[in-house]
Amino acid sequence: MSDRGALAISGVHLAFPVRGGGALPVLDGVDLAVPGGGIVALIGPNGCGKSTLLRVAAGLLRPGRGMVSLDGVGIAGPDPRIGLVFQEPRLLPWRSAADNITYPLELAGWPLERRRARLAELTDLVALDPGVVDNRPSELSGGTRQRVALARALALEPEVLLLDEPFSALDALSRERFDLELLRLWERASTTIVLVTHSIGEAILVADRIVVMSPRPGRVVADIPVDLARPRSLADLDAAVVTRTAQEVRHHLGEGDDAGAVVREASA
Amino acid sequence: MSRGAVLSVIGAFIGFVVVWQLVVAVSGFPPFILPAPGAVATRFVTALTDGTIWPHLATTLLAVGLGFGVGAGLAVVVGYALARSALVERLLSPYLVAAQATPILALAPLIALWFGPGLAGKVLICALIVFFPVAVATMVGIRAVDARLLELGRSLRATRRQVLTTLEIPAALPSIFGGLRVGVTLAVVGAIVGEWAGAERGLGVLINLARGSLFDIPLMFATLLTIALVGIVLYLTVVVIERRLVGAR
Repeated sequence: MSDRGALAISGVHLAFPVRGGGALPVLDGVDLAVPGGGIVALIGPNGCGKSTLLRVAAGLLRPGRGMVSLDGVGIAGPDPRIGLVFQEPRLLPWRSAADNITYPLELAGWPLERRRARLAELTDLVALDPGVVDNRPSELSGGTRQRVALARALALEPEVLLLDEPFSALDALSRERFDLELLRLWERASTTIVLVTHSIGEAILVADRIVVMSPRPGRVVADIPVDLARPRSLADLDAAVVTRTAQEVRHHLGEGDDAGAVVREASA
Repeated sequence: MSRGAVLSVIGAFIGFVVVWQLVVAVSGFPPFILPAPGAVATRFVTALTDGTIWPHLATTLLAVGLGFGVGAGLAVVVGYALARSALVERLLSPYLVAAQATPILALAPLIALWFGPGLAGKVLICALIVFFPVAVATMVGIRAVDARLLELGRSLRATRRQVLTTLEIPAALPSIFGGLRVGVTLAVVGAIVGEWAGAERGLGVLINLARGSLFDIPLMFATLLTIALVGIVLYLTVVVIERRLVGAR
């Protein structure tokens, strides 16, 4: 555990205005504390507000009530100490992979020489093939694009990395490989990680704790520790503790109306 | 262009000339109604070599260049404001549409009356005719910028100016160039219309001279050919710049 990057979400309520008046409650008093350097997986049925919670944590959405703080300091807007990876790579199609990775540095006013040096570190960190950095996103595979997006999120050395189902568009085998690479990267960079996922297997493989959310309006209904030693490998996924943890997660997901779909998807 | 593409362009041009020649031969029109392609080509070459066309061409090009620059430049700014401000759109769009719906041919004499036969009136007419397509293309392009990219910019704390220069303009560039392609050909039309309405020099003036006092119909055709070539060259220039700036995506 690191002494930096402790994320605290307390009593967060959020409602979206509805056309024609009224408001749709999306988050209903969410409390979540992630210690510095910890990994928490957020799991829950579709539309339960997982992605919304991540946007609140990233400072992109202001909660109606409650607050988010990082190392005791309140988050009032987008913060360079927080890196965000979206569900889709969200690269600028007119820029090369390298220029996409260094985009946050450019916006922050880093000079070219420093950007180049940081680019080399980042491509190494996310294991990006140096031969493709001059290619446009349209010339890259889906996995490589998400690698570029990950490098971009890490560019400013954030203390917290928020990942919104980052590997959901990849096939199952690639996804497992990316999960393991994420763990390796976490060991090197020691950032706090919050991972939104639909996959119980992915959550168990990656996280210290699995936080289960209820259907909308989202609340935390369970906070389940994963008792697996690190470093983890795919072989660990066969252990008895995995089966027990997965059953517990499914039990809490089952409290919702449309949670059955998630359980089926996650166990498929 | 590939060799096949070049050959097909040349082939189509030869076909056009052959049909023209056939029409002349079959119809028996006198040369002052429809001169043969050979006569026009000869007149075109002599008009270039004896210096008849050059001063007129230079005057027209100056008006086209200035008018296109001013019109397109303003249009990009206004198009951006139209896309990003509902108030600007409500206030301006009725005037823009009205200005566009009024034929430039009807406005040109009025503008000539106000600004005289000099450069200013021609530049104004060019700018007016270029403005609308470029403004609309810019507005559409800026509105179509992916909201997810704007969210990315926000998450990276991009300033208003950085959002404009690194996200909105690059994303809207293909659309803006669509407007510039239309606009640059219209700029040529604008200059000729302006010269018709009153000018001392220019390709539009030369057409009137050739048709009227000189009664040199091959020269009139040679001038039309020059105008068409100006349009093609300017259009291709825009396309080349577009390829450089927009590139492969």
